[in-house]
Amino acid sequence: MSAPAPVEAVFFDGHSARRHMLRVRPTDDGAGLALLAEGAEAEVVWPLSHVRRLPGEADRGMLTLTLHHDTGDETPRDPARLVLGDAQMIAWVLAYAPALDRRDLRRGTARRVVTRLAAAAAAFCVLFFVLLPRLALFLADRIPPETEVVLGQSVKQQIEWLLTVDGEQRALTCTGAEGAEALAIMRDRLTIGLDLPYPVDLVVFDHAMVNAFAAPGGHVVILRGLLDEAETPEEVAGVLAHELGHVAARDPLRAAMRSAGTAGLLSIVLGDFTGAALIAVMGEHVMNAAYSREAETAADGFAHDLLRTAQVDIAGLADFFDRLDRDGTGLPEYIATHPQTAGRADAARGEASDQGVTRPVLSGAEWMALRSICEG
Amino acid sequence: MIETGSFEKATYAGKGGPLFRLALATNLLTVLTLGIYRFWGKTRIRRFIWSATRFQGDAFEYTGTGLEKFLGFLVAMVFLAVYLGIVNLLLFFAGIRFVLEPTTEAELTMQSTVIFVSFLALLPWMFFAEYRSRRYKLARTRFRGIRFGMESQALGYVLRALGHTLLTTVTLGLLLPRQTFGLAKYMTDRSYYGDARFVQSGRWTALYGAMKHVFIGAVIVIAAIVMTFVMAGMNPSDPAGMTPWAILPVVFGYVWLLIGFVYYRVQSFAYLMSNTTLEGEVLFASNPSLKTILTKVIVGTILLVIAAAVVLLGYGLIVAGLFASLGEGAEDIGIVRLVIIAGLYLLLLAALSAGALALITHPVIAHIVATSSVANAEALSRVRQRAFDKGADADGFADALDIGGAI
Repeated sequence: MSAPAPVEAVFFDGHSARRHMLRVRPTDDGAGLALLAEGAEAEVVWPLSHVRRLPGEADRGMLTLTLHHDTGDETPRDPARLVLGDAQMIAWVLAYAPALDRRDLRRGTARRVVTRLAAAAAAFCVLFFVLLPRLALFLADRIPPETEVVLGQSVKQQIEWLLTVDGEQRALTCTGAEGAEALAIMRDRLTIGLDLPYPVDLVVFDHAMVNAFAAPGGHVVILRGLLDEAETPEEVAGVLAHELGHVAARDPLRAAMRSAGTAGLLSIVLGDFTGAALIAVMGEHVMNAAYSREAETAADGFAHDLLRTAQVDIAGLADFFDRLDRDGTGLPEYIATHPQTAGRADAARGEASDQGVTRPVLSGAEWMALRSICEG
Repeated sequence: MIETGSFEKATYAGKGGPLFRLALATNLLTVLTLGIYRFWGKTRIRRFIWSATRFQGDAFEYTGTGLEKFLGFLVAMVFLAVYLGIVNLLLFFAGIRFVLEPTTEAELTMQSTVIFVSFLALLPWMFFAEYRSRRYKLARTRFRGIRFGMESQALGYVLRALGHTLLTTVTLGLLLPRQTFGLAKYMTDRSYYGDARFVQSGRWTALYGAMKHVFIGAVIVIAAIVMTFVMAGMNPSDPAGMTPWAILPVVFGYVWLLIGFVYYRVQSFAYLMSNTTLEGEVLFASNPSLKTILTKVIVGTILLVIAAAVVLLGYGLIVAGLFASLGEGAEDIGIVRLVIIAGLYLLLLAALSAGALALITHPVIAHIVATSSVANAEALSRVRQRAFDKGADADGFADALDIGGAI
């Protein structure tokens, strides 16, 4: 490309907003732009190697240039601006300026970024995994047991409502008198010598789901589906022992406090972009699931010890897990709230294998009564 | 007395097509990087819009960098995470401890306080973020090589904003013009172009004219609701039959109210800008047409909805196809299909967001710029350069609190 003819260009010197008109031409050696101001004696040369284009301009008909110069600004650029409008001059500069769009990151930028990022990540991790959980536990322990019992009552009612939401609203608690007696026998057998801050309030809900849960304040609920699915009372006792583990550790309350503290933190990190909400919800679920698995494993361990002390056969618990495992949920472990069922079954079987003397937890009649607790 | 020369208009040279392509690319990259790219994406979009804004042939410049925004965000994130985590926890604790069943007078007060505080916990930070965000954008804007800027008095803004919000709420919105004017004046009076200072003049009561459609809309809605009750009272045997007739005026009033708020925003912006001066010499004027803005918003929304419908249809077909390919006896959907479905959903959101920017926000920006003008622009040539502002958080708080807005 032959050197273009001199043209007029707009120039701002970066010290005042005054507009200057300059004559711009390529230098004789083709390695720079020579700028001549009106009434000036000599030309100022901008070496092409130092010429930079202002990024992101929307218009191809204009080319705004400046110089690379470490001024301590947000980017190392001279405050002066040269605006070219002539097509040939623009084409020539685009062709011959070697570093027009170079970013010119300052030395040590990478190090600065990494340090800040590491500091922020460390602060966040300390907050999320240490500070807030500790604070949550501290506060959870400050809640008086009576308050926790009241809270658990309303949680239980909410779950009752949730379970009947697609049918008719009704009270789910099963009231068969003999079944309730059998339930009390099982509960007392397991809780002898157990020092809990509140009494265990154990009921059966008339619902087909195979499940049991503990609400804050010692409220334990077994769903009828679990009674139907179990083949021996030792299986039910095993599940009950596991739930008692949650009660003893005040897990439901602690989990709620921990969630309350960390709720929304992930959405702060992800900030303001489309789709953030979805990623935040998934992310928080993954993070909380780890805590929940830890609590579940601890409850399993508590159950083993409790069953051993009460001389109830731990093999019942193992059988129950085995049957659950056959049905399967198919969720990968890292997003599941419970550890893999097969693992839990193996652990229980291991405990059962060296268990000493056991006595049946319910008589045949009591077991029949319990199974029909919801029919009364 | 300021001599008034003639007003010269600003121009806007940006087109929706290139902006859509840019926004689509940045949105996709943002989703792929789980949000990390958003700082660079926003920077690029601001550069596009700023450099499309021209006055007397010279373009504005946005000199902020994505890296700066990212680092600033890290600072904001830690502050907010600590604050939010602790406040959330304390509120939840107080909630359980006191809110469940208040038995004494003291506990009743605690209950109200807890509920109150939970609403307000983030409000001061949002005002703080608003001020800092505007300051950062000004500090990274240049015209003719000269920087804009704003003083660093965010705390004063937070206090005033809290006070104004309280007054406006207590008066059920009647003092909104005072809030709008007061906060705008606080920010404008602390803004600079180079060494030249902006001043906001005018009176807050003048903004009541801009509120008129809000009042009309509110009156219609209230009247319609009252009429519904009156007619239901007069017709006790068939109150449900009145409902379709009653709904219409309420909806009508509600739409009027919404448009009234748009009208208020546009007119108050025009008034505020037209009463701004720079170093007592340069004058500004803004004459946006509400009709044009509403038309552009409505047309843009219709186009966006049509495009969204087409894209959603395609998405639905793909999801259906994925389910159909499951085959007999499959227990669950499998992680691969879940990832595809979630991934496509995020892409969809990215495209729709880019579409909204290009079809709705962008035409409004173009119109506002094209109806803005400046008088006595020769005085600008006397403005001298302003020192660099480090801008510690680089509107990171606004990002963390999701109040950044489209640009």
